[in-house]
Amino acid sequence: MGKKVFVGMSGGVDSSVSALLLKEQGYDVTGVYMKNWSKDLPGMRCPWAEDLADAKRVAVKLGIPFEVWDFEDAYREKVVEYMLDEFKKGNTPNPDVMCNQEIKFKLFFEKAMERGADYIATGHYARVKDGQLLRAVDENKDQTYFLYRISNESLKHTLFPIGDMLKPDVKKLAEEKGLHNAYKKESMGVCFVGEVGMKDFLKEYIDIKPGEIREVETEKVLGYHEGAIFYTIGQRHGLYLSGISGEVNDGLPYYVVDKNLDKNIVYVSKNLNDSHIWTDKLELRDVFIRTDTVHSRHFATNGERVSEEPRNDGRDEACREWSVSVRLRHRAPLIPAKFNGESLFFENEIKRPASGQSAVLYDDEVCLGGGIIA
Amino acid sequence: MTIWIQASLLTLQANTKHLNVTLNGGVFIFAKLCYNIIMIYLDHAAATPVSSKVLKTMEPYFTDQFFNPSAAYLPAKKVAAEYEAAKGEIAHAIGAKATDLVITAGATEANNLAFSAVGDGKVLYLETEHDSVRKVAEQYDGKSIRVLSNGLIDMDDLKAKISDDVVLISVALANNEIGVIQPLSEIAGVIRDVKFDRLKRGVKTPLYLHSDASQALNLLDISVARLGVDLLTLNAAKVYGPKGVGALYVSHDVKLSPVSYGGGQEKGLRAGTENVPGVIGFAKAISEAKEHLNGNRKKYANLRKILLSEIKDYELVNKKHALDNFVVLCFDGIDAERLIYLLEDKGVYVSTGAACAASKGLKSHVLTALGLSDSQITGSLRLTLGETNDEEQIHEAAKLINEAVASEKARING
Repeated sequence: MGKKVFVGMSGGVDSSVSALLLKEQGYDVTGVYMKNWSKDLPGMRCPWAEDLADAKRVAVKLGIPFEVWDFEDAYREKVVEYMLDEFKKGNTPNPDVMCNQEIKFKLFFEKAMERGADYIATGHYARVKDGQLLRAVDENKDQTYFLYRISNESLKHTLFPIGDMLKPDVKKLAEEKGLHNAYKKESMGVCFVGEVGMKDFLKEYIDIKPGEIREVETEKVLGYHEGAIFYTIGQRHGLYLSGISGEVNDGLPYYVVDKNLDKNIVYVSKNLNDSHIWTDKLELRDVFIRTDTVHSRHFATNGERVSEEPRNDGRDEACREWSVSVRLRHRAPLIPAKFNGESLFFENEIKRPASGQSAVLYDDEVCLGGGIIA
Repeated sequence: MTIWIQASLLTLQANTKHLNVTLNGGVFIFAKLCYNIIMIYLDHAAATPVSSKVLKTMEPYFTDQFFNPSAAYLPAKKVAAEYEAAKGEIAHAIGAKATDLVITAGATEANNLAFSAVGDGKVLYLETEHDSVRKVAEQYDGKSIRVLSNGLIDMDDLKAKISDDVVLISVALANNEIGVIQPLSEIAGVIRDVKFDRLKRGVKTPLYLHSDASQALNLLDISVARLGVDLLTLNAAKVYGPKGVGALYVSHDVKLSPVSYGGGQEKGLRAGTENVPGVIGFAKAISEAKEHLNGNRKKYANLRKILLSEIKDYELVNKKHALDNFVVLCFDGIDAERLIYLLEDKGVYVSTGAACAASKGLKSHVLTALGLSDSQITGSLRLTLGETNDEEQIHEAAKLINEAVASEKARING
């Protein structure tokens, strides 16, 4: 028997093909469906039962054992509670990053190891090389943005079987091998409820609190909202401001540019050059630097900068800054920036991402880690 | 295009010995359009195909005879009369009259409507009931009545639990997972005794017996008088009629509350324009079922025997008292869900229990109630026979099931 691998199978084509490849490579493979969420949400039926059936169907086709591991309680505690707390603070968290850090590459990893696994595997588009996390070959699908905070301990024992494949080839292989889900629509777990869906999700847990929508330039009240925490900077849907009376209909949409949580006011603007939107600096918190990278000499294992010399604050000293590439959203282009261990500095102004989202740092194809935008 | 389809069907017919094309009395063309893989459908308790005769009967009511039965002109009145006649035909099949029926959109709605008789009272239901009874009963703080290990109602438990505040007792005529037929007239006898006792003591609380007969409608000769029920749920979709059509038989002394308000249709209990084609189809399906009742029972008993003799190494879960078309086999140590996927690849469609419960990954409450162990429950496979099956198919199915079980055993033993 080959080395023992537990592969997380979501019922989608990526994890199915991952299991298939591992099996073909001679591993002793066990498929596992991680049951993280099963509740239906307003306007969204949770497809967990169908996903589970799809995963199991593939496992049976491959002739591998299949199990369901229930992480619902942990997911609620570690991911959903975190998400709600962050929203209550006015941030826009990324549940996917948290799910990978706390569930898939922690609880799932630990349980697999207890069960005698040599490796865990997932259907993520990412690669591991010499203990480093690398971007996927398929630039379009690279998922390291969601993986930058997973522990090095788990990464050492992780296989990403499709990390060097292109998505179309994954689908093609699935079809060739007769997997029924080759062309299944990508999963829409709670991690993907999206901007408008997220509001409905939050309303299940957070009471609505009516407040004003004001134009930032004039302080004029344009309308009313159900709670400032439901809105994200940059958001332009769900404001219901089109066609309001007295409005000059110039066809331009309003964007959320700021919010005052204490006063429960959402500020909007039509001005795409509004100073709230643009910035050349981002402060990060909870910085996580991957230790096994070539850049580890710059940083201590806890993410703090190693102070080889007495530390000097400020960005004026070039030697305290490192050139990195930054991704501010999944699939967003890489932007060059300087990083001093706490803040990112951009040459050209960028559209400010919502606080709570992640900034992920790269050196070429190596994912260096990242932090949460403060 | 038409020619091409016909040609390919003919080719299939020629190449596939199991393709069963009957152009009258039910067209069941089952062909997987690749590699001549046959389809053997063994899940008739989940759904039945609409027979060709039923479909043909329904057709004009979608098109030419589309009128609203409540409209004033004669063509609409004709449709109204035909609708009533169809209701009469359905009612006749259970020994009732058209006016005793409330047409619903399926058995679930009929079960829900039946419970509206409860008012402020209490309810009892058999622990093996379908979710469409269990979940409603929960809304009324219902208590469950135990079953014995053979799946039959525990009469002592029933008697012990009928307190003076119980208004409704719900016991399905035949269980949807194991096909076990409950002794309804015996239960009705117990209820009658309780009623007399209540009256003697001056207790005014009414007591009704409700039964969901969805699974049994085409396999048992049903008469509401003989069963002694006050409320009976019927379902077209299990008897080769259309989905989304059901009915509730309501005896004269039962008071129900409307499920919807509006134009006062269905005695004011379920307002909304009548589903004329659905009811016409239901009537045709039920009269067909009655006509072929004895032949079908014999046929299924025979097919059941073939399955039981040719399949290897199982324990029969529903040994006695079951509908002729229900075969529940336990392969202890095997995951029956894996068998479903292995068999689906061969064109054999089976189930592990109620389709709605199985799809949620829930452990069968029915098999749990019988006292089966977790591994026995996991290993249980439900085969339900029907009009689409013939002997040749059943021999083939038995062979394929044996192969699937053998391959799972080989995998487990490494």
